[in-house]
Amino acid sequence: MSEQPIHHKSASRMNDEMLSSLRPPTLRWYGLVFLLGAVVAWGLYAFTYQVMNGMYVTGLDRPVMWGVYIVNFVFWIGLSHSGTMVSAILRLSQANWRRPILRAAEAMTVFTVAVGGLFPLIHLGRNWVFFYLLPYPNQRGLWPNFRSPLLWDAMAITTYIIGSSLFLYLGMLPDLAVARDRANGWRLKLYTALAMGWRGTAREWVVYHQASTLMAALIIPVAVSVHSIVAWDFAVTVVPGWHSTIFPPYFVIGAIHSGVAAVITLMIIIRKVFHLEEYLTPLHFDNMGKLQLVITLLWSYAYFVEVQTTWYAHEPIEWEVFSFMSGKYTVALLVMLLGNSILPIIALCFKRLRRSIPAMLAITLLINVGMFIERFLIIVPSLSHKNMPFVWGTYSPSWVELSITAGAFAGFALMYTIFAKTFPMVAVSDVHEYESQKALISLGRTRVPSLVGKE
Amino acid sequence: MELLGIFKDAVSAATAVDSLLREGFVEAQITSLTSFPYPDGVFVKTNQRIWFRWFTLGCGIIGAGVGFFLAAGTAWLYPVQTGDKPIIALFPTGIVTYELTMLFFMVGTIVGMFLEMKLPNFAHRLYDPDIAEGCIGISLSIHPGGEPVACEPGVRPTECIGGIALLSAAEQKERAEEIMRAADVLRITTEVQP
Repeated sequence: MSEQPIHHKSASRMNDEMLSSLRPPTLRWYGLVFLLGAVVAWGLYAFTYQVMNGMYVTGLDRPVMWGVYIVNFVFWIGLSHSGTMVSAILRLSQANWRRPILRAAEAMTVFTVAVGGLFPLIHLGRNWVFFYLLPYPNQRGLWPNFRSPLLWDAMAITTYIIGSSLFLYLGMLPDLAVARDRANGWRLKLYTALAMGWRGTAREWVVYHQASTLMAALIIPVAVSVHSIVAWDFAVTVVPGWHSTIFPPYFVIGAIHSGVAAVITLMIIIRKVFHLEEYLTPLHFDNMGKLQLVITLLWSYAYFVEVQTTWYAHEPIEWEVFSFMSGKYTVALLVMLLGNSILPIIALCFKRLRRSIPAMLAITLLINVGMFIERFLIIVPSLSHKNMPFVWGTYSPSWVELSITAGAFAGFALMYTIFAKTFPMVAVSDVHEYESQKALISLGRTRVPSLVGKE
Repeated sequence: MELLGIFKDAVSAATAVDSLLREGFVEAQITSLTSFPYPDGVFVKTNQRIWFRWFTLGCGIIGAGVGFFLAAGTAWLYPVQTGDKPIIALFPTGIVTYELTMLFFMVGTIVGMFLEMKLPNFAHRLYDPDIAEGCIGISLSIHPGGEPVACEPGVRPTECIGGIALLSAAEQKERAEEIMRAADVLRITTEVQP
């Protein structure tokens, strides 16, 4: 890797490096796609088996009728949060270090919400009538009940997936024009169509900037609303352990917690695979690490408040659910607390660890393992020990549910892998803009970096 | 007629724009083509007002109406009596209204942006792929020549021009090319609009 600083490189060379992901795929890439495709195919087989045989092939049974599918739903929708939200917040706050990470974060949102949105449909049982969820007049005389939180989910997820896709596309528009000017064959046709005839006139840039800022401001409240609505799926019921006013903010914080961790994990993978070491520097991981530390503290506070209220009030059925959860799932609970709270807080206080790529990879993966467990511990114990002791029970997922879960993880990875090979993974125009505005100026006895910017 | 000069850096492009303005061409005739944004005024100033945010606002208001009538209208047309709860429930109606308002806002932003940019436009227009590699394009719309017209908002760049409009289009083009060459232009492309 060259030692030359980025701001001494020509624009053309920077383009070569930032668009390196668009080079023809290697055999290893095809191998990865085949492997991920095989896992997705296995997940599809498991789903087909469920459709053909009915929901009894899952581990779902009274009283636990929400299992791993809903855990997956909450987990994936949570993951989707931070991509767009982090990108939007950093855009609005004009944090310059955001530039190389925007695309990875925004793309993550679109694919995670796509995967997450499938799980309520998989969970439906009679999946082939999924369109009953959509509000439209029909001959059946059936109208979806707007009082049902499931319909709120359908509305919120539809809004979020459309908004996130538009936000991703908006960010890519100038980069698609750059890719178009260097492409040939099918890529030329694709980029030409998507770039819409963009030329980069002064007027286009002014309008584009206004639209980007407006979209960033609009997408943040949508992201908050989506996970609040997912939280209301639980909080508006009278199930002990769920019926809690803190659930929406707690879910939003948890979503950002897992989402920021996932963005860092993806940054590390992209950096390694596409040799983007000069664009995703230790500074970026340091800053993201500080953000992760703040979110970890917030999540820990929210979890403490939730548990402390239950413990202090000691309302019998609430306490029963908590006791059952901490007794039957002790190991899972400890892994969750270590992974989500204790280890990240300790590790992320140290600059050396925040700037260490292997350490950040380990911490962020651990956080997401912890968050998956947290979703499980919210959903399953509450349903296992509801108000009537004579219907208490337990739940363990079947091979069908586990296969579909594996298929979902592989499906996300597959979509992301194909996207990374098809579209620019670094926000080219954003990085160029930053580099063009940077200069070294003399100050006293030294030269310091300075940045042109408007008030 | 439109002229596009390709410059290798911002300094030479800005020099060319300065010289064109001194010669009598006006800012409304000139635009820059770049692969990344420069602060407004580095090459030209874009003083036109931006209207698409009003379009966005309009879409948001329509979205609020659609959301409200979808949730409240459905409940009203197909009432589901549940205990003594109201037929039109406030909370769900609020959620559906909010989500559709935001959806329409976001779609309105993108549609409005493209309308304001006059995109998509797949017709052949003056452009150079080297712009993607960091070169800067300076495009000049040449007036057909004749009566000078003041450049004001609402007047298209090709219709307004200062004193230089007294020259014929060919003479204006010749002068502009000389200026660009003096500013170290890499190449100049011309296109005559029908």
